[in-house]
Amino acid sequence: MSSGMSLIEVDSGRRDDQHVKSTRDLHLRRRGRDRVVAGVAGGVADALGVSDAFVRAAFITLTTVWGLGILVYMAIWLVTVDRVEDTEPEMVELQQAFGLAIAFAGSMILLGTIGLWPSNVLVITVGALAFGTAALTDRNMPGPLAALIDPTVEKPGRLRLLFGVALLIGGLAVFAANVGPLYEIGPVMLSVALTGIGIFVAFGPWVARLASDLGTERRERIRQEERAEMAAHLHDSVLQTLALIQRSDDPARMSILARHQETELRDWLFGNAPLEGADLLSTALKDAARKVEADHQVPVDVVVVGDHTLNESTRALLGAANEAMVNAAKHSGAERISLYFEAENGSLAVYVTDQGRGFQPAGVAGDRRGIAESIRARVERAGGEAHIDSEPGEGTEVILRMPVAVT
Amino acid sequence: MTKLYLVDDHRLFLAGVKAELSEEFVIVGAAYDVDTAIEEIRGLDPDVVLIDVHMPDGGGIAVVEGVGETNPDVKFLALSVSDLAEDVIAMIRAGARGYVTKTIEPRELADAVRRIDAGDAVFSPRLAGFVLDAFAGAMPSEEDPELDQLTSREKDVLRLIARGFAYKQVARKLNISIKTVETHVSSVLRKLQLSNRHELARWASKRRIV
Repeated sequence: MSSGMSLIEVDSGRRDDQHVKSTRDLHLRRRGRDRVVAGVAGGVADALGVSDAFVRAAFITLTTVWGLGILVYMAIWLVTVDRVEDTEPEMVELQQAFGLAIAFAGSMILLGTIGLWPSNVLVITVGALAFGTAALTDRNMPGPLAALIDPTVEKPGRLRLLFGVALLIGGLAVFAANVGPLYEIGPVMLSVALTGIGIFVAFGPWVARLASDLGTERRERIRQEERAEMAAHLHDSVLQTLALIQRSDDPARMSILARHQETELRDWLFGNAPLEGADLLSTALKDAARKVEADHQVPVDVVVVGDHTLNESTRALLGAANEAMVNAAKHSGAERISLYFEAENGSLAVYVTDQGRGFQPAGVAGDRRGIAESIRARVERAGGEAHIDSEPGEGTEVILRMPVAVT
Repeated sequence: MTKLYLVDDHRLFLAGVKAELSEEFVIVGAAYDVDTAIEEIRGLDPDVVLIDVHMPDGGGIAVVEGVGETNPDVKFLALSVSDLAEDVIAMIRAGARGYVTKTIEPRELADAVRRIDAGDAVFSPRLAGFVLDAFAGAMPSEEDPELDQLTSREKDVLRLIARGFAYKQVARKLNISIKTVETHVSSVLRKLQLSNRHELARWASKRRIV
């Protein structure tokens, strides 16, 4: 006990500000997440920049030297505070990790030289087993067992696999060579079995909880990814539009922006984005309506009954419907335009209706007549018919019909 | 004067609607959640309830069904940002007498409330389109063919509504009275609520490509 306490001066009762400050200066914080006992090894690993699996192995190995590992662990636990926000530990260069490993080995030899060494067998066996396991399970660098525990880590490197397995076999061999012959095989088997059962009873629930924690963690990660995706989308669309609306002082434009955004968000939320129906007349009509809304700042209500695929003649229908919408948006003065599309009994019909000022279809000026003719001519060329129903003050309705082959 | 009750979990929107309608109707109360709404509507017995579709704890459908058990005379007008076919049709089949989207003009909304109060049905252009789609084709049903088909006159009325015409204009175009238009729409509403056509239940799952 005294050796541990003498290493670092501690007042465990009052961890005052000054104390917190000093540990912060050392960058030594106990881990909040991803810890096995109290987060000390993880904290040391974060501070040194090495992988926590190896720090744990070092603690375990030190423990064989008269329990020194446990003492150091407790001492560090006493002088550190929990890390509040968890950042990813920075990984050190291979060179630095190698240096730390040499330093660790050196201090172990020093302990041996000054006569604090309990037994070669114990230290080498436990050390080899601990570091071997660390090499295999380290989650910061790819290890084979780590890949089993956490599928997100990469596949292990072959060198590391060899190293870990060699250490494990070496540790077991030293143990077997030194301890094995001293006992009869029967009691050994019995003790191994008993130990196994004991460990299972003692740690089984803990392992199960660990597994379920990992599951929770994975679900949480998936949820976070979804949230990030949603945030990204909202940022690109809704927030941009809201910013535009705030900068605009034209109510009509604001309203159009809002409406445009509403339609887009709705499509995104409810999954009827135009992708899968890209070659359908209904989708094309909706897109055309949205473009008219955006270009002319007049809302277009689209109602669709049935559907048809896009081909040469339905494209003519689409073009004519688009002309009719643009025409209504430009000339009718109506607050909104209705587009109704119906596919039924081998015939397609599109109605573009507005409640605007209307006109006399028989006697209109040249350009208006031109548009009307272009609508009519386009549909008739494709085998359909167009009818324009309008009276001054009564609004306008353009009716387009197109026969289609029933599939 | 018509007693109106409002249900919407979006308080800001609710405040806006309140301001728009308070001149013309007596707003007897408002609720932000399903349970409060059911309890208060049972006690206050308003003439018309404006009900949001998407709310926690069962949404508008839970309120319409919960109130319908005890106060069958309370009439519901659904008011929602959603114009998904499933939402619209589910709401109507639960018992709402009309469905309009939240983008409706205040004047039209007041009109719709009056019409609902008078016992008529209110169909937005989009709802009319959904109904036409759901009843399309000659899908015979053995149980009650009359409930499962729209008459050609009803279809005419719905088409005109879908084309954006007001009831008054529909009446003029078809040379019938507004009352007759309202009768047709109410009759369509009844069919929509009672028909066994399987398309009504699963209709949004598949687009009908002619």
